[in-house]
Amino acid sequence: MQKELSTKTINSILEKYEPQRHNIIKALHSLQDAHPLHYISNSILDAVSSFFNITKAETYGIVTYYSMFSIKPRGYHIIRLCQSPVCSMLNIKDLLNHLADRWQLKPGITTEDSMFTLETVECLGACDNAPAMMVNEQLYTELSKARIDEILTHLKEAYHKNL
Amino acid sequence: MQKDFPLIALRRAEKIAPLSLEDYESTNGFVALKKALRESPVSVQEQIKKSGLRGRGGAGFPTGTKQHFTSSSSSDSHTKYVVCNADEGEPGTFKDKKIMETDPFALIEGMLIAAYAIGSNYGFVYIRGEYYSSIQNIQNAIDIAYKKNYLGKNILGTGFNFEMSIFLGAGSYLCGEELTLLESLEGKRGYPRIKPPFPAEKGLWGKPTLVNNVETFVHIPFIIEHGSERYARIGTKESKGTKLFCVSGPVKKTGVFELPMGITLKELIENVCGGMKNDKIFKGALIGGAAGTFVDSSFWDTPLAFETLKEKGATLGSGAVIVIDEDSCLYTLMASILSFFKHESCGKCVPCRVGCKILHDTCTRQSINEESLMFMQNQATYMAQTSLCPLGQSPVLPLTTFIKFFKNSL
Amino acid sequence: MSKLVAIEIDGKKIEAPEGAVLLQVAKEHGFDIPSLCFHKRLSPTGACRLCVVKVEQMPGLVMSCAVNIKAGMRVTAYDEELQTNRRHTLAYLLAEHNEAYDNSYEDEMRPLLERYNLINPDQRPFGSLWENIPRVIDDSSPVLTYDSSKCIRCFRCIKACDEIQGKGVLSFADRGITKYISAGYGSWKNSECDGCGECIQLCPTGAIVEKPFRGLINVKEADNTTITTCPYCGVGCQMKVFVQDNTVMRIDGFDEVSPNYGRLCVKGRFGYQYANHEKRLTKPLIKKHGQFHEATWDEALDYAAQKLSDVKKKYGNMALAGLSSAKCSNEENYLFQKFIRLVFENNNVDYCTRLCHASTVTAMLKSFGDGAGSNSIEDFETTDCLLVTGNNIIETHPVTATFVKRGKAKGQKIILIDPKWTPLVNHADVWLQPKLATDVALLNGMIRVIIEQKWYDEDFINKRVEGGMEAFDALKKLTDKYTLPYTSEITGVNPQKIFDAARIYATAETAMIATGMGMSQQTVGTNNVFSLINMCLVTGQIGKERCGINPPRGQNNVQGATDVGASPKNYPGYIPIADEANRKRIAELWEVEFEKLHYKPGLTTIEIMNHAHEGGIKAMYIMGENPVITDPNQTHTIEALEKLDFLVVQDLFLTETAAYADVVFPAASLFEKEGTVVNSDRRVLRIRQAIQPPGQARQDWEITIELAKRMGADIGTYESPEDIFNEIALAAPIFGGITYDRINFQGIQWPCYDANHPGTSTLFLDKFNTPDGKAKIIPVDYKDQSEKPHSDFPLVLNSGRILYQYHSATLSRKSPLLNAYANNHYVIINPIDAKKFAIDDGDNVKITSPRGSLKTIARIRDEVLPGELFMPWHYSEAPVNILTRNEMDPMSKIAPFKYSVVKIERI
Repeated sequence: MQKELSTKTINSILEKYEPQRHNIIKALHSLQDAHPLHYISNSILDAVSSFFNITKAETYGIVTYYSMFSIKPRGYHIIRLCQSPVCSMLNIKDLLNHLADRWQLKPGITTEDSMFTLETVECLGACDNAPAMMVNEQLYTELSKARIDEILTHLKEAYHKNL
Repeated sequence: MQKDFPLIALRRAEKIAPLSLEDYESTNGFVALKKALRESPVSVQEQIKKSGLRGRGGAGFPTGTKQHFTSSSSSDSHTKYVVCNADEGEPGTFKDKKIMETDPFALIEGMLIAAYAIGSNYGFVYIRGEYYSSIQNIQNAIDIAYKKNYLGKNILGTGFNFEMSIFLGAGSYLCGEELTLLESLEGKRGYPRIKPPFPAEKGLWGKPTLVNNVETFVHIPFIIEHGSERYARIGTKESKGTKLFCVSGPVKKTGVFELPMGITLKELIENVCGGMKNDKIFKGALIGGAAGTFVDSSFWDTPLAFETLKEKGATLGSGAVIVIDEDSCLYTLMASILSFFKHESCGKCVPCRVGCKILHDTCTRQSINEESLMFMQNQATYMAQTSLCPLGQSPVLPLTTFIKFFKNSL
Repeated sequence: MSKLVAIEIDGKKIEAPEGAVLLQVAKEHGFDIPSLCFHKRLSPTGACRLCVVKVEQMPGLVMSCAVNIKAGMRVTAYDEELQTNRRHTLAYLLAEHNEAYDNSYEDEMRPLLERYNLINPDQRPFGSLWENIPRVIDDSSPVLTYDSSKCIRCFRCIKACDEIQGKGVLSFADRGITKYISAGYGSWKNSECDGCGECIQLCPTGAIVEKPFRGLINVKEADNTTITTCPYCGVGCQMKVFVQDNTVMRIDGFDEVSPNYGRLCVKGRFGYQYANHEKRLTKPLIKKHGQFHEATWDEALDYAAQKLSDVKKKYGNMALAGLSSAKCSNEENYLFQKFIRLVFENNNVDYCTRLCHASTVTAMLKSFGDGAGSNSIEDFETTDCLLVTGNNIIETHPVTATFVKRGKAKGQKIILIDPKWTPLVNHADVWLQPKLATDVALLNGMIRVIIEQKWYDEDFINKRVEGGMEAFDALKKLTDKYTLPYTSEITGVNPQKIFDAARIYATAETAMIATGMGMSQQTVGTNNVFSLINMCLVTGQIGKERCGINPPRGQNNVQGATDVGASPKNYPGYIPIADEANRKRIAELWEVEFEKLHYKPGLTTIEIMNHAHEGGIKAMYIMGENPVITDPNQTHTIEALEKLDFLVVQDLFLTETAAYADVVFPAASLFEKEGTVVNSDRRVLRIRQAIQPPGQARQDWEITIELAKRMGADIGTYESPEDIFNEIALAAPIFGGITYDRINFQGIQWPCYDANHPGTSTLFLDKFNTPDGKAKIIPVDYKDQSEKPHSDFPLVLNSGRILYQYHSATLSRKSPLLNAYANNHYVIINPIDAKKFAIDDGDNVKITSPRGSLKTIARIRDEVLPGELFMPWHYSEAPVNILTRNEMDPMSKIAPFKYSVVKIERI
């Protein structure tokens, strides 16, 4: 799998925006989404700083402030498990344990094959169908261990198909 | 419960194709806009003021007054902005998502009318980054509206110009606070600004800015279309109109429900949600999300409205109602709330930065007993007095009410 | 100034400016409300929450840093609730803070802990948290270390970097309890940080500390703290010098006064190591059989006096010359020129100003009657438009540049004209990149646009310009051919940019110009400045506040040395020698025969060397100058020095020039002397002694007097530099009202004619300093260069300075810290040329001009245009001046350091 976004791709994404500071978060989202490892690499940081004419630290400060951005390479599927008060009361801990035991997934960790990254996330706004998680842009609700196994098995197949 | 009330925020939900402009127009869409554009901005503002509409984001500030402050700001600049706060992040809250997914044009229409009322030509919708479908929907709706000249220059030939675009959050609850949202919109770290000045005076890029919640904006077309008197007939004395309640937890039917202000918990849970799940006993609820207040069964008959809850030391907040039954683990709930605040504290000011950690550490490391609860309450009270922004001022609300109602049931 | 209103704090009635920050006002009136994130030089942050007060009519507790004074405000600064709250906050801060303290910095937290009874761990309400928070230590910078465990996240460093220095290099990374300060992507070394250390100075808790003397310096036991003026560039920064055991151990900006208000640059803060350097000269040296031998002062002085007298006797008084020094004080320069005029009995005294702003001074003297900058440093922030031409202001005048960047942040327009990229490009609204030495054409093109668009100021021209609209018409006629296409063809600059630059400058409410070496160091240097002046005069962007022309000066006292008469043409205060009345006046003051003062203006710097080469000058006395490195055509310079019968050099080190001396006198450095200097905005500033000179090194002024005595002359008896200064004030009317007492705390800008004169912040407000009070338009045409690239030498070499080194690097390269940033010479070549000449980045290359050749390392950058090269000239192992020529601008006698034809080869 490709490990870095080419300078050409980075620039072609950036050129969609006016080089005004307020576009930076949108641009970072686009770049992170486009990156095969779903993260803000140093090349992206450099390109963004220079495109918006701001210092490296300012860009770094923004990227590290917002929890949706990652400065570490992430997996093909980013699983974001909701840990809102509602989900928590429905034993999210059990699901986390299950993910660790059955799938070797721990929050903040990416699997060695770069297939999965597990993250926890604040309320996803799906409390009426809790517990919930999001995989990339897809929302999954009413989770149970069995449902998680079903979803992840499916995702695993999708990953291998994509390779 | 008031029987005679119209749906406002959800009037088209599941009834029309959200991105069909024809559907929208055929259900009286943009009727209010056209009406407003024939009137003077001041008259529009007057109607909003008279309707008694209050902000639906949590604080309940009168919308008409906010419009008035923004339009009459002493700033020498002619540029003003309208910003929609769609950074819905309050735990237990999922109403704005519902609106954006089901009736995106209503938000555009609401913002257009508000912009016209205050003399603004630029609008931004700041949408929570994780709300992918809302982002898609609003973006598509904006594109369609531009094509049909509901946005852009010389709208519908009236000479009114309004440019609108969306901005994305990226995972920060604090950016739902209006001044922090503006910082983020400017492309910065989400740090709260010192208040005053308020956005109405100095907001986005230092210009007067009207910031309202999604739900607030979609009430505006109704008010203009049907008149402020019709609107003011819904709700209570000081809380007019309908409200979206986001009910979660152990009730039979969870979800977003649009109901008149002043409905009681009893009516909400028994009549609307079909009662408690498995016929468990209602123990209480967390109203307003993590930054809200706990209530117990003594609130069963209390009308859910700004003033009635305030009287009893509680808050309506965003309209989140997280129901608790006799089996709910209150400790997990409290720990989750405190973990949330610790995670979302920006760290700018000392009381919140250190306090949120102390609270969370205390809650998770020590046994929860009367002493540690009192310690936490003291910290939270100090934090509320001394913190820079609403985040650090929030933990005291759930903590104090938690202690008040559930100290003995841990 | 806003109006004063009455407020009340704890019952005490106070008058304070409306709108002022309550906390600052309270502090000024003795209410020591605790605070840590607040700093009077920064905008309020509201992060530390210690400064809580109660204000009537305001709900709850409010932060006094976030409250602006309003009439009638009633404030409670102290009560039990407030004190309890403050103690709580402090305890929180303490919980996340590693309180280890090594006495090496001023800790602002400890006194508060004492005050609120939190020193003793038993009295603390919370346990320590910091061990459980990820600790980030960044030790990668050459000058500082950051430790997040000591950081209280107060924003002061971030704001110091952003608001004070205009750099914005720092930010927080992460959020909440784990956030920490980050430069770049978490590495200071790989960030844009240039090491100015403003963050260190403003850090309240030692989270950012400087590296040198860590563990050795003890701020409590420092022997003394001396306020003096920075020894590097001409900004004149006021600095606080910490000394321990006669060693300079730390320098901070002195934050009370102009010109720098506490700011420093990396050289000022970290470039002091030369003072205590092991290579300092400590004894006089006499050369015998080609070898230096240590000598006593008597031996060396007698020997030098004897030899100089011999030359004078044998070849006549015109065979002697002296080079004075822009690094020495006014007092020393004054005595030096007095020495030349009374002991050598000629006017052959000059110094490196001739190689610096001579063109600017020549043109400005002719047009305005004054050669110094017309404005104050503060105006760089407040003017609406700043045109910077041939001046790498961010690197060469870093503290002046902070004013520019602050101005930019408030909406100032910046026009940059420079053939080479400089960091100011990032801040400029428009950057014109003309080919080297095409400035007159470019400026004439701009003037033509201004005339055509009717952006000129007819009223100003009529009232303030000699000849009024007739002079304007002459300029109009001359510039008529400089149409946009024609100008663009000569300069290579896009016509739209020329038009935009002209519009921005001419239509700005107020506009200032900063001109530098790029304009001055050319054979047409004076013409360049005339063009600039013409543009200034037709637009009326001079003669009012925040308008004018300014040549930021390169050396700490390059302004003062000329002011006090280190000039072949003028006595102190720009009084022409050629005028008999002036000679009479000076003779009377100096109590000598009028005839003793030579009537003929002396030789200039390059002329002195040329005469030495030709045999006309036989002996020289050089005080603190290093012409081997700084003069053009190094081979020629060395030959000239070798041809001298006798050379005396007085310096701190055995410089490249001192190596050719017969006698070397060890002199005191600026840290070791009392006196005054004059900065770029004509501010007379004190220098004060912080340490003792090493060994037998002596004060320059004492050496000069001794040498005079032993040559049988009396140039005056002085108890102290102050004595000398008082004589300067008598000699130079522009200094007439200045005394040491008056400038004890804050400098005064000349002219200052008498004791009641406040000094002059802006020149030419009422009239120009010409006989008729009007300025002159002097139209000039673009001239082609006499030396042009051709097949043998196809490229043009430009030279200049960089931030981290200074002039001939005698001082700056003694600092390992500055060297850590930039200790390597290089040449910048455009990628197109690199390809053409088959050169890769990092290649060793040889550069050859008709004068000589040198070896250096290639850096491929698009910072220069194709066909042009750039080299910093600080490095003696790759001495750029071996390539430059000693051709002169006919008016200013400057050499074209910015234009030498060369070839480049990979080796």
